[in-house]
Amino acid sequence: MPTRPHQMPAAAAALAAVTSLAGCAQKAAGGDGAIRVTASDSSCAVSRTEFPAGRLTLDVANKGTTVTEVYVLFPDDRIAAERENIGPGTTTSITAEIKAGDYAIACKPGMKGDGIRQKVTATGAHAAAKRSPAADAAVAAYRGYVLAQARETLPKARAFADAVKAGDMASAKKLYAPSRVGWERTEPVAESFGDIDPKVDVREDGLEAGQDPAEDWTGWHRLEKALWQDGRIGDREKRLADRLMTDLNTWVKKVGQAQITPTSMANGAKSLLDEVARNKVTGEEERYSHTDLVDFKGNLEGARKSYDLLKPVASKNDPRLTAQLDTRFDALNTLLDTYRTAKGGYGFTSYDQVGRRQRKDLSDAVNALAEPLSKLAAAVVK
Amino acid sequence: MFGNFLIGLREGLEASLVVCILVAYLVKTGNRRRLAPVWAGVGLAVALSLAFGALLQFGSSTLTFQAKEALGGTLSVLSVALVTWMVFWMRRTARHLKGELQGRLDAALAVGAGALVVTSFFAVGREGLETSLFVWTAVQATDDGIRPLAGALLGLAASAVLGLLFYKGALRIDLAKFFRWTGAMLVVVAAGVLAYGIHDLQEADFLPGLRRLAFDISATVPPDSWYGTLLKGVFNFQPDPTVLQMTVWAVYVVPVMGLFLAPQRTPRTPASRKETETARADRATGAPS
Repeated sequence: MPTRPHQMPAAAAALAAVTSLAGCAQKAAGGDGAIRVTASDSSCAVSRTEFPAGRLTLDVANKGTTVTEVYVLFPDDRIAAERENIGPGTTTSITAEIKAGDYAIACKPGMKGDGIRQKVTATGAHAAAKRSPAADAAVAAYRGYVLAQARETLPKARAFADAVKAGDMASAKKLYAPSRVGWERTEPVAESFGDIDPKVDVREDGLEAGQDPAEDWTGWHRLEKALWQDGRIGDREKRLADRLMTDLNTWVKKVGQAQITPTSMANGAKSLLDEVARNKVTGEEERYSHTDLVDFKGNLEGARKSYDLLKPVASKNDPRLTAQLDTRFDALNTLLDTYRTAKGGYGFTSYDQVGRRQRKDLSDAVNALAEPLSKLAAAVVK
Repeated sequence: MFGNFLIGLREGLEASLVVCILVAYLVKTGNRRRLAPVWAGVGLAVALSLAFGALLQFGSSTLTFQAKEALGGTLSVLSVALVTWMVFWMRRTARHLKGELQGRLDAALAVGAGALVVTSFFAVGREGLETSLFVWTAVQATDDGIRPLAGALLGLAASAVLGLLFYKGALRIDLAKFFRWTGAMLVVVAAGVLAYGIHDLQEADFLPGLRRLAFDISATVPPDSWYGTLLKGVFNFQPDPTVLQMTVWAVYVVPVMGLFLAPQRTPRTPASRKETETARADRATGAPS
């Protein structure tokens, strides 16, 4: 009876063909480059949140009791890499080719839901190879800008801290918003260090689970609440003012060593706009002092600075994008400036005086800019 | 250990069922001599999967995520085509069986035997790569000693036992019933495989709409529960399918099930129609044919 043996090789050949079509990749030369992901039933700990773009290796250990999955996700939730069926007590590794940019590493204990996520950043080692002199100049100029902003912030913050320590409520309130402008302009760089932002710019609801607001809440917004909400400056607030200065000094020292690339500049500009959309337009950032528009202005100026420096590079690759960005930046800035209380100064209408319709207009202008701005990173590394 | 057991059970169940239905079919139609190529197909798939998985786990190269998903998705779609073919092939040959046209049955089996091997190869090979990666991972696990591996292997063994039980039960019921039920079940299984393949392709971003869920009942049917595992293992049931998955599932299952359940009156020539109708009429009246 003929069993058609030729069909067997045919099946094997089909499998082999699919495989070779789909593509193999070389594993990373293990060890030091790998990022450890420790998954449990309720956590997803990542050994590093910043790593160079290129070959990424995740060494995953499931210490929990349920089956888990680990994903590397793009900001829009597309999957960059994934591994399913990571049984309890097992370890496995995931290898992926990662471009520079922001990602999330997500563990899904029980294989359901959106997963427990950790934000991570792949820094532009890839972009470095393609860097042009124009891009290098942009990075150098931006580094100078960030340093200058940090240095200028220190005396303003010092004045604010001194007013708090002197118990001078009125001066402290007046000095509060200006002390934050340099920070707000360059926030993405500070955020890239990971540990400073939560100390100086966290809001009460931004504390991590298990942190006690009475003990662990520090920084500007803690003082903002004392000044506007509680209406008193006690010993703790005075100590917190010193603490703020210590943390800001650390920030200024670290800024000089920040890793800055054309990509991180472009992504930083976008994330400043996202900040505006998420926290300022909603009035969440400065919920007690209502100085949101001052932060708004700072974020916008910082984003504009990054963009202006990158423009010579981006306009060569995508002139239509830069033309559009010019228009939208100007439009948003003009709209925002209608809320200035004094021309040229940094006084802005208190945000609780801004009506719902006006907030909507601001929000629309922010979104109109954020959309083309998200394409800037692609235009500078093309 | 239980978690690893469930993974093994889930990954093994579908392949075990498809192979057991194939084997039961051959045994029931008195074609035991054709079992060897089926087992060869299964064996080849297991060996290839284990070897390929070991290469990826211990070797210096690895598949990119997209490649893995594309491979899984493509194999799923091919599997669906083969299982669908098998269902209708079984149905066609069953007719010859009833008509006692042994010559025709033999001819059909001769054509089908080679394809049966391919079907069993794909039924096992489809999930094989992922399963073998999982098994090798359990082999490598050091923290928990032997327990993950034991759990995984016990799960796979349990899926084989369930398949065997299904097979024993299938041998007992009458042939016509066996065709109807296993055929209908295979259509639903194939639809599940298709939906699963679509999800793989969506994850790899070859198809859009990964985040557009049709519904999400993963709170009611947790994927890591034993019943979620059984549903997933047999029907590829997913508690949070995407809209595209649901659509493709329905677009497949409705017409195919309809075709399968429709009375058989699609002979190719008027002559054979006449023959069939005569045979049917003969049976109805009890006259000898």
